[in-house]
Amino acid sequence: MPLYLTIIFIFFGSLLVATANAGELKQASFKNGVKLVVEEDHSAPVAMVQIWLKVGGRDEVPGKTGLAHVFEHMMFKGSKKLDAGEYSKRISAMGGNDNAFTSTDYTAYFETVPAARVAEVLGMEAERFAHLRLRDVDFQKEIRVIMEERRMRTEDDPNSRMFEELSAASLRLHPYRNPVIGWMQDLKALTINDVRAFYQQHYVPGNVIVVVVGDVDFEQVKNTVAKTFGKMKARPVDARFNPKEPESFGPKRIQVRLPAELPMLAVTIPLPVWQPGKNDTEVAALALATHILAGGRSARMTRELVDKQRKAFTASAGYDPTAMGLDLWYAYALLGPKQSPAAFEKALWLLLGDMAEQPVLASELAAAKRNMIAANVFAQDSLYLRAKEIGHLEVVGIGAANRDRWLDAIASIKPADIQQVVSQYLLPERSTTGVLLPVKKAATKTPKKKNKAEVKS
Amino acid sequence: MMLRGYIINLCLSLFSFGSLAMAATPIQEATLNNGVRVLLMEAHNVPMVAMKLVMPAGSRFDAEGKAGTATLLAGMLSDHTAKHDFTAWADLLDADAIRLGAHAGRDGFNISLTVLKDALQPGLDALTESLLQPGWNTKRFAIMKQDSIAAAQKEKEEPGVQASAAGAALLFANHPYGHRSSGSMESLARIDLADLKTLYARQIKPQGAVLAVSGDITMAELLPLLNARLAHWTGKAAKGLNDIDKAKAVAGLQRDVALPTSQMLVQLLRLGPARNDSDFFPVFVLNHILGGGGFGSRLMEEVREKRGLVYGVYSYFIPLAVPGSFVISLQTRADQAGQAEAVVRQVMADMAAGKISNKQFKASKENLIGSFAQRMDSNRERVGLMAMIGMYHLPLDYLSRWTDRVGAVTLAQVKTQASKYLTPAQWNRVRVGPAAALKSAPLKATPQKTTPQKAITPKKPVNHTITH
Repeated sequence: MPLYLTIIFIFFGSLLVATANAGELKQASFKNGVKLVVEEDHSAPVAMVQIWLKVGGRDEVPGKTGLAHVFEHMMFKGSKKLDAGEYSKRISAMGGNDNAFTSTDYTAYFETVPAARVAEVLGMEAERFAHLRLRDVDFQKEIRVIMEERRMRTEDDPNSRMFEELSAASLRLHPYRNPVIGWMQDLKALTINDVRAFYQQHYVPGNVIVVVVGDVDFEQVKNTVAKTFGKMKARPVDARFNPKEPESFGPKRIQVRLPAELPMLAVTIPLPVWQPGKNDTEVAALALATHILAGGRSARMTRELVDKQRKAFTASAGYDPTAMGLDLWYAYALLGPKQSPAAFEKALWLLLGDMAEQPVLASELAAAKRNMIAANVFAQDSLYLRAKEIGHLEVVGIGAANRDRWLDAIASIKPADIQQVVSQYLLPERSTTGVLLPVKKAATKTPKKKNKAEVKS
Repeated sequence: MMLRGYIINLCLSLFSFGSLAMAATPIQEATLNNGVRVLLMEAHNVPMVAMKLVMPAGSRFDAEGKAGTATLLAGMLSDHTAKHDFTAWADLLDADAIRLGAHAGRDGFNISLTVLKDALQPGLDALTESLLQPGWNTKRFAIMKQDSIAAAQKEKEEPGVQASAAGAALLFANHPYGHRSSGSMESLARIDLADLKTLYARQIKPQGAVLAVSGDITMAELLPLLNARLAHWTGKAAKGLNDIDKAKAVAGLQRDVALPTSQMLVQLLRLGPARNDSDFFPVFVLNHILGGGGFGSRLMEEVREKRGLVYGVYSYFIPLAVPGSFVISLQTRADQAGQAEAVVRQVMADMAAGKISNKQFKASKENLIGSFAQRMDSNRERVGLMAMIGMYHLPLDYLSRWTDRVGAVTLAQVKTQASKYLTPAQWNRVRVGPAAALKSAPLKATPQKTTPQKAITPKKPVNHTITH
């Protein structure tokens, strides 16, 4: 059943759900640094509770990649009051679902529950946050689960592996060079002591943002948070690791040779991210340029490169203006048996060059704006996405209160703005190119060796 | 994003069904003169309308040897029309932010539309034009076919795709469900434009079609808009939804596919219940206990939580017009596959022997009932549920009585279904993994399954999120 399949979505910078129809945001801050953001929606008796942490893959030290995600798994392994697995069972028994996710910039834990149970859920979240039981025996099992997760997501998927390598090659300093799941050798070396140290350092009230969207009353939620997260003792908060990536001095290139059926090519370029009030026009123009290239049915990459020039059978691009420090803009192509990476690459740069020289059509720009705004309305249909947008904007420092500015910025963009940012940023000399080259199937030997190496862990 | 286990990913709004017998908004019904059944749930909180027109024209209607015909038809109908070539069509849709798509499942074929309320009329115009004025452009067909064949080749890199193709062939040899809807490199190569036209002429008809609608609209507003556009569309599908024989049950079959991966994907499979099976709800609860319920499920508990053998292990069944597949799936490092499969088989045998505690049974029911409201909390989900209800002729109170029906399931019923479905010897096995490990494992010892399949779209290079 499709319900059970995981689908990987690529966002075209559309995490910004902006105003259209969003309810009013109500916020509160507590003395210990905990922040609360609530959006009331009384259309159905359910609520989404999300606890966001200002800690993610970027906060790991070298040699310990994957730790933020490992830690997230350990949050389900029991606390002072609840046994391992008990947390999810209680949520389940109240008719809810819980889960969590980790990215480079944040970690978040979430529950969808009947609205009447929100206070209870916040109490449970606060209890495990403050009194996690971190046992080595649980860690030893969970780290094996996570290695299986890495094998499934990355090691056995040639496209993922290529992107992992490409990210690492694209950046010298910025933490987006490391995979959130962690490098396998780091996963093998992690210990329960690393997990405990991470907990002490990062799971402090000043790193917490509580987001609730749904059929709740702000004042009531505020009182509940005051009695739970708000009561925790204030502790020092570390500044986040957000280094300035050095400029590069020319194009970079890698090849990844793996057992695969067909080649893939991808290009990355570091781009600025949104700082409200400082670069609204620039970043909105980049988002619109990316949409014109890769969004909607009339996307230029599909129309020109796939349908007209036949250089690939799938081609797209993506940009997230809400990343931290920078975003790695990317474009990629899946190539058929008679299509060459070199020919696609040439055609891609011609397409980008044309966009720098010729203003986009007024009708094309209008359609891109309309689609980005419509996407924001459609996203209002899901409590999960609404809460996620709020949490995300808070955690990366943009601030959920700024979300309305985004549509204003989008609406104000002119063709010349797009020409300006494309000619300034989307340049070969700022890019890194990766090519997945299929290795013919002498492949059966490779995994055998890999397995042996992994058994040692 | 990495989510814990295979819970659905973002975007699909989490499926839960709130515990509130959730005064499910009633489904309103109307029938157009030409026979199209219209089902509507009003939801006025977001200024948008979503709809899905579903017809019995899915991949089971593909001609023999031409798997992928319905999927290519879906591609063609949404790509261009007789009045607009593919560029003009794309520009027209994007100008009003009209999201129009078509998709072929096993039984059903659908055209879906999502629009802002203020673009409803142009949206309906577009849906109608794609449905009733196909363009049949030969050049576009050739391109689509070539790209589909390339995509099918690329997909061979994915263990989940290999397993689902092998599983369908194993369970449904010589049966209309015996192929993936998207087809294979070989079957796609055999398809001509004439095959698409034939399928269209036979099955894309109003009698037997259902239009499910959810959003900021009333039936009084909707019907005149539909009648104005669809009145000239007439006829009846050559074959109805229920014109299909049951597949013959098979047991103990095995199929291995060599792929140079580090993990082995193991799937155990057999036939499950049909959509209209009178025991549907007891089997539904049984599957939730077994491996459909995520972290609380028996398989998750034994294989992941206690032994750390997998990231994901789960079970599901696909209820179709006649029995579809019932699948248990996991992925683990190749050398652990035998061990993990043995654990799964033990869980199955235990449950078949009646070892299901009342506590566990109650917890599953509580979760299913409690999370019901969430299963319907977006227009997209409501449209999907109504299309299913309409196509399979389920009662219109299906949703409002859903929690009652789950609530009425007894432990004795679940145990009866466990003994009927979970006897390990009645299952078959597909494995996808490294050749050496496939060889070394003794025939009986090694099946397992996998976690969710990944979409072919590559993930974003950096900054992606991962779940628990």
